[in-house]
Amino acid sequence: MRWPDDGVPDRPGAWLMTVARNKALDRLRRAGTHRAKIEELAVMASRESDAPDDTDDSGIPDERLRLIFTCCHPALAAEARVALTLRTLTGLTTAEIARAFLVPEATMAKRLVRAKGKIAHAKIPYRVPPAAALPERVPGVLAVLYLVFNEGYSASAGADLIRRDLCDKAIGLAQVLADLMPEEPEARGLLALMLFQHSRRDARTDGAGNLITLEDQDRSRWDHGQIERARACLGDALLRGDPGQYQVQAAIAGCHATAPAAAGTDWPEIARLYRILSRLTGSPVVELNRAVAVAMADGPAAGLAITGELEVGGTLDGYYLLPATRADFLRRLGRNAEAAAAYTDALALVGTGPERRFLEGRKALVTTGEP
Amino acid sequence: MRYALIHSMDPDLAPATPEAFRADRAHAASWAGELDAAGVRLHGSRLHPDYATTVRVRDGRTLITDGPFAETKEQIAGYDVLECGSLDEAVRQAGRHPAPPIGTTEVRAFPAHAPGGRLTGPAEGKTRYLLLVVTDPSVDPAVFEDLPSVDAWVAETDGAGIRVFGSELEPPETARTVRERDASILVTDGPFAETKEQIAGFDLLDCADLDEVLEIAARHPMARGGILEVRPLWDGNER
Repeated sequence: MRWPDDGVPDRPGAWLMTVARNKALDRLRRAGTHRAKIEELAVMASRESDAPDDTDDSGIPDERLRLIFTCCHPALAAEARVALTLRTLTGLTTAEIARAFLVPEATMAKRLVRAKGKIAHAKIPYRVPPAAALPERVPGVLAVLYLVFNEGYSASAGADLIRRDLCDKAIGLAQVLADLMPEEPEARGLLALMLFQHSRRDARTDGAGNLITLEDQDRSRWDHGQIERARACLGDALLRGDPGQYQVQAAIAGCHATAPAAAGTDWPEIARLYRILSRLTGSPVVELNRAVAVAMADGPAAGLAITGELEVGGTLDGYYLLPATRADFLRRLGRNAEAAAAYTDALALVGTGPERRFLEGRKALVTTGEP
Repeated sequence: MRYALIHSMDPDLAPATPEAFRADRAHAASWAGELDAAGVRLHGSRLHPDYATTVRVRDGRTLITDGPFAETKEQIAGYDVLECGSLDEAVRQAGRHPAPPIGTTEVRAFPAHAPGGRLTGPAEGKTRYLLLVVTDPSVDPAVFEDLPSVDAWVAETDGAGIRVFGSELEPPETARTVRERDASILVTDGPFAETKEQIAGFDLLDCADLDEVLEIAARHPMARGGILEVRPLWDGNER
């Protein structure tokens, strides 16, 4: 395969399929006229001629699945997996992907060219991995889709629409994966998680683009149709009896989504789910979230005990949400001087944007005459 | 004696225009053609750093990452295996290669029992991959207590017709590194990269695709004890 030096062709999906077809032809030559191979080739050929737009949803499902696994191959750099998946499976242009990830278009184009060069030269296979390899490979695919979603979700209301559009793209891809791999409950769990989170999109920022915390959000502005869809998805996933981190995260998101008011949130249940998630992932960030849930269920002092352990552990050093969470617990305990110091620690670590404004607001609250 | 030539390229000195790239390729081809005809060069290939994948097995988990084992500026861009009378002779041949002016060529002897002979190309439908075996001082020495010898892996891959060449190399401190700057050849002792990770040997594996070679690499004992880097041999015709 030749790949031009100067930029990305318009249709990398079609290109991947050409690579695949050439490989299939190679296999055919070796395998003689094995019927299955011919059928496989026919499928690819018809896909190429009948559906020139490789982003068409009516495409042969199996092919989209192969594309997802090829684009999310672990031998590609994480950022290249994300870019290639979006370019190949969602129809976003290179310029749009570059804008969504806040990098120059030339950088993104180079990233895509390099990834495609590696697929062709290092012979990254164009196929759904064999069943034995799926436990290793599926999590990588889900991680790419969730990364795309989070990139969009973290974009505030004022940010470029392209960035927020990433959420819809990620949901669309998770839906494809969940439909095509019904035996993988984590795919459906991820879809449910995204839907629960996305249902709050209109309520999570105010007119000025400031973040509104979950407890202060106007719940009538949540997308209740999407919440219902998420609940159905999660129900389907849990029926398989094989829980994983996305299903548990979706269950947590579901607890929030179905509470009629912040005060009615089932915090003990959420704390219990976080304990499961913490065991599944071993992640200190999850443990920090558990601290928040425990503080809601059993009081800020109980939460403070967990953040204290995390500080001793040191794995979250440099992560602004650790001092920010500690500050919140101290504020709720009325220990304002300590809270102010913790907010100062958090502000030293946080970037710009709504998170900084939020922390500054809270710090002002504990330093200006509150008891 | 057989010697490995490991060519690296400094991106700042790399051919910048298509003409310079073609001239570099022609130079390498004539060097290889001459040494092939003289029976000195047994095999060799260009290698593209963009197509590298590293494999590590840590705590029972296979970790696959994009890119070469070391994030050094100079990256391995090719290798050759030469049959020469002495290290000095191998160094002399390295000095005539196009790599020293734009990077380095590390010359390292194979132990006497390393396989000789020329290689024929991979069977149809197979891709030949270079498997670099690299040491990793950050691995807990206790890991080596349970590490099996590589013999079973070698026997299995040889038996399956996958491994077509392979050997450890003499230690890095025995290496000579050849550079050419301002039209003078500089030969220094030691390997080209001053990294804590060092190349311990390499194999050539013929596999159907990257997944197959990664799976085989992950079963090499040094996937646990070090780092394995996989690169397809590259004809240098495309980028």
